[in-house]
Amino acid sequence: MDLWAHIPQLLTSGVTLGAIYALVALGFVTIIRASQIINFAQGEFVMLGGVVTFYLLKGLNLPYPLAALVATGIVITVGFLLYISVIYPLRKAPTLIVLISTLGASIFLSNTSSLLFGTLPKALPPFSGERPLTIGGVSIVPQNLWVLGTTVLLLIFLYLLSHRTLSGKAMEASSTDPLGADLLGISRTLMVFLAFGLSAGIGAVAGILVTPIFFTSYNSGTILGLKGFIAAVLGGWGKNTGAILGGFVLGVVESMSLAFIPSGYKDGVAFAILLCILYFRPKGILGSPFVDSRRW
Amino acid sequence: MVDSNNKEFRKRDFFYVVPLWLLSLIVPDADDLYSYRSKEFKGRELFYLAAVLVLPLVWRDPHFHHLMVLAGINAILALGLSLFLGYAGQISLGHAAFFGIGAYTTAILTTRYAFPTFGAFWASAFTAALAAYLIGKPILKLKGFFLALATLGFGEMFLVIIRESTDLTGGVIGIFNIPWFSIAGFSFDTYLKQYYLTWGVLLGLFLYSKNLVRSKMGRAFLSVAASEEAAFTVGIKVAQIKIGVFVLGAAFAGFAGSLFACIMSTANADAFGLNLSVLLVMMVIVGGMGNLYGPIFGSILLTWLIDILGKYQEWSLSIYGVILIILLIFFPDGIGTRLGMRLIYLIGYWAKKKRRDEGKL
Repeated sequence: MDLWAHIPQLLTSGVTLGAIYALVALGFVTIIRASQIINFAQGEFVMLGGVVTFYLLKGLNLPYPLAALVATGIVITVGFLLYISVIYPLRKAPTLIVLISTLGASIFLSNTSSLLFGTLPKALPPFSGERPLTIGGVSIVPQNLWVLGTTVLLLIFLYLLSHRTLSGKAMEASSTDPLGADLLGISRTLMVFLAFGLSAGIGAVAGILVTPIFFTSYNSGTILGLKGFIAAVLGGWGKNTGAILGGFVLGVVESMSLAFIPSGYKDGVAFAILLCILYFRPKGILGSPFVDSRRW
Repeated sequence: MVDSNNKEFRKRDFFYVVPLWLLSLIVPDADDLYSYRSKEFKGRELFYLAAVLVLPLVWRDPHFHHLMVLAGINAILALGLSLFLGYAGQISLGHAAFFGIGAYTTAILTTRYAFPTFGAFWASAFTAALAAYLIGKPILKLKGFFLALATLGFGEMFLVIIRESTDLTGGVIGIFNIPWFSIAGFSFDTYLKQYYLTWGVLLGLFLYSKNLVRSKMGRAFLSVAASEEAAFTVGIKVAQIKIGVFVLGAAFAGFAGSLFACIMSTANADAFGLNLSVLLVMMVIVGGMGNLYGPIFGSILLTWLIDILGKYQEWSLSIYGVILIILLIFFPDGIGTRLGMRLIYLIGYWAKKKRRDEGKL
């Protein structure tokens, strides 16, 4: 049957898509692990990463690696500024207020970027050639391997950060037990500040990796952010491994669904998965340290 | 209230009694919620009512009328949401979907089946309420962020379904030529008539909610918001209350959607997205949660704000984002509440200082 011939190819593109969702989800989880804040502007970090790199590369003619590095730096600065100007004044506000204010920040960032860099969709050149590799009848663009490799590297980096360094442990402590962290002399403000920078950095890296595969325009951040968020919930709220797993599951399922239902419903699939996971297992696939199962 | 402890009444008390009285006409009274008072209209309500009725006759600008029609529709939506958000303490980011369901029900019934608009008006509210019951049954057991996320997911899925089911809803193009709203041959075809229609519906729903929050069920909303466990312990059926208020908010949104479809004469998926849901939550927050004047005030303010920002073309959405954040940082419990407290404090401080300067205190 013709349908089944497409499955390996869809699986490959699903894995790439999943890696991107996983990277966005990692950004969410990084902030969640330091404080119970959900940053809906995470998708805008991804968008900014791609758009700023494009501007530096094409507008200022910087070499590719330097442009990527500078763009990451700029996005990290934006993350710090977001924390200072929005999250810090609202540190005592109820969750709903923080949620809506990050949505406001997301509106601001996406529209300001459209003013500064234009509304046209942007595509960066791939890192290493465009010639697809063919393995067993399935063609793989080299960029996909870059995305997968970076995801693994980032996961290892975050694992080492949270398990082998003092600041990583302090970050986690300030989320799981705020009072205890205060008593031990951990500055929670500083920890959340650093977490925002880190998460913006992860977002920027994701954006730079994505832009050669998919076009990035000023309004693509919102939907990427939402998908990444769904991935984070799906895999296990507040777990790095959960975010990665959730990202891949979401990407593969979404890509596979193309074989069975009209492509217009693709976005709906992710939200259907979200409703199912929230209903049947709010902890996510791997379980979550922050979701108390008794509450449901 | 100000000088109930003082036996004697001094002339200079007028200096702060009069401003306070004027203020009490404008600023919503937070005490209202928790006290059993007479159900008669008070000075403040009559003042509001007169202002709403007379203002469009005095200010005869069609643009103003149209803006206030939109503000009225937003106010109906925000009123329904404030029952869910402000009274029952649940978060919803998918309220625009029920608005959309209402609008599309009216659009389909009137254009395809030549339904009378008044019948479609009630059918819209019923459809929205039914959808809310079906969707609310599973997701209302979630709390906090997760409820917000689930309702957001529902809103996005609604948009996808609307865009894809082209046969029923006209896809991305939408439905055109919806007839004007009409009751018994009287057609609401000018902005002024639509103004009175919208604000009349709003007034009816407002009176309904005002009585509702004073009823046994309204008290149950507040107790659910305060603590679900405690509410459950004293014998309130928490799940039933939550689904009740969700359905009620959706029915309000259905009414608003029906009015919107009739007044705009189109129904298009772009109008019912996440942006509107966020805007509605903002209206409730800015107006002040936990009172019924808040959402109406907030929706008028934000509808005007967006209209004014429209002049700045491409800058409008960036400025809008900044203003949202500033409002949330400085007025997290509503402009009315915060400003009222601040002003009352200032007036009291000023009066006390004056007395202290005269050496009497």
